[in-house]
Amino acid sequence: MHALRYFFSEAAASLMRGPVASALAILTISTGIFVLGVFLVVNANFQRVVDRWSQSAELSIYLADDVTPDQLAGIDQVTSRSGLVAHQEYVSREQALSRFKTDFPDLAGAAGNLESNPLPASFELQLKADVRESTIAVDGLVSTLNGTPGVADVRYDREWLARLNTVVRIGRIVATGIVILLAIAAAMTVSNVVRLTAAARRDEIEIMQLVGAPFAFVRGPFVAEGILQGGLGAVVALIALTFAFYFVRTKFTALTFLAPPMAAGLILGGILLGCIGGYVVARRVR
Amino acid sequence: MIEVQRVSKTYARGVYALRDLSLQIGKGDFVFLTGPSGAGKSTLLRLLLRRDVPSDGQLIVGGRNLAELTPRQVQAYRRSVGFVFQDFKLLQKKTLLENVAFVPRVLGIGASQQQRRTFQVLKWVGLQHRMSAYPMELSGGEQQRVAIARAIVNDPLIILADEPTGNLDPDLSLEIMNLFREINARGTTVVVATHDRELIRRVGRRSVTLDHGQIVETT
Repeated sequence: MHALRYFFSEAAASLMRGPVASALAILTISTGIFVLGVFLVVNANFQRVVDRWSQSAELSIYLADDVTPDQLAGIDQVTSRSGLVAHQEYVSREQALSRFKTDFPDLAGAAGNLESNPLPASFELQLKADVRESTIAVDGLVSTLNGTPGVADVRYDREWLARLNTVVRIGRIVATGIVILLAIAAAMTVSNVVRLTAAARRDEIEIMQLVGAPFAFVRGPFVAEGILQGGLGAVVALIALTFAFYFVRTKFTALTFLAPPMAAGLILGGILLGCIGGYVVARRVR
Repeated sequence: MIEVQRVSKTYARGVYALRDLSLQIGKGDFVFLTGPSGAGKSTLLRLLLRRDVPSDGQLIVGGRNLAELTPRQVQAYRRSVGFVFQDFKLLQKKTLLENVAFVPRVLGIGASQQQRRTFQVLKWVGLQHRMSAYPMELSGGEQQRVAIARAIVNDPLIILADEPTGNLDPDLSLEIMNLFREINARGTTVVVATHDRELIRRVGRRSVTLDHGQIVETT
């Protein structure tokens, strides 16, 4: 406890001694964490939208006009045995026409003029969440259904979802790369600022070495300084992120902010970055 | 206490700072190392402070070969040694109290004991009334007394002083030497490097004269 008090009091005094350099380090860390925070907010909201779209995506089995009850039972058996289906609904030809008229009221009149109902009956399937990205399993089901008697056509909007997921994945990789680069830059900045501090405190360090101070006492203040810089940088970033979020939300009201554990994670991340930066310098002091 | 056994120290291009030097200093001794500039006095003190190791020979202090100490053992050894330099090496941004208390503080000694020891040694060197002053506000003699207080605050077994009176006038020099004599009287081994032969004569203790890294005279 006594040691920690010493480390942090020395670190705080050191931050005050070089306010410009310290502010630069804090700003660099906060920039990196701000970008990471923006990425996390965008990612969380984007993921929410993608999930909703994915959940509403259906696999539609259009039935032949002359489908028999036995064939319907056969189709039902195929879907239920596949283990991929979360929810299944039979839509009769009449229900399909009714939906068409509701969804496209402008065309309702034209549809009413037709002599017969052109819309087929169908099964509308919602797939289980955990199999949605399993291309092979879904392709297998589609292929089986296509060969099942009574099935006229099967439609699954897999391709555009796959493309969407690819875009999301690439976006994540690029953002992760940027965040890693910023994290390295932040740690290096802290390291350089702490190195300046080490130069300014060389007399003190020399005396500590000469009196036989333990390594922890010689090195501790540098690590503490890194922790302070990193923690302050993270707090600044989180404040900036909060302001930016509420500004953007005036235009996009459905947006949600980071969950509290994620925000706490950002602060810890900043502290960790600062700690690494400080330790890089501290371990050179012997 | 201190055994210097055929110690040599060479620097770049084979220049000898110490050459085959042997010397024994007993526990509680007071020894002057003297000689002209470049004689090897400071090099020997550097070796005794374990800031460097001999190129050849052995340096045994308290039964331990200094060259064989691990970094942690070096720390433990240095806690038993107090040092005083010509340029005082005081921290300019700290008060006298902080300068002296710095040692027990970084050695992890509790706050109340820090204060007690610091006050005692500052009182002993006669500076208890100036504890909140900064080094720049003191005379050379006062600064050296602070450095001595810092050297003894940890109650070391050995005091090493490198030209401690180099920046002081003769009267102040004698005053500083009297402090060393008092420290020595309490059983602490004192080794002082100085080129001031007049001071050695006035103090009247054992002196070892070095020249070109070798002992040329012992009195």
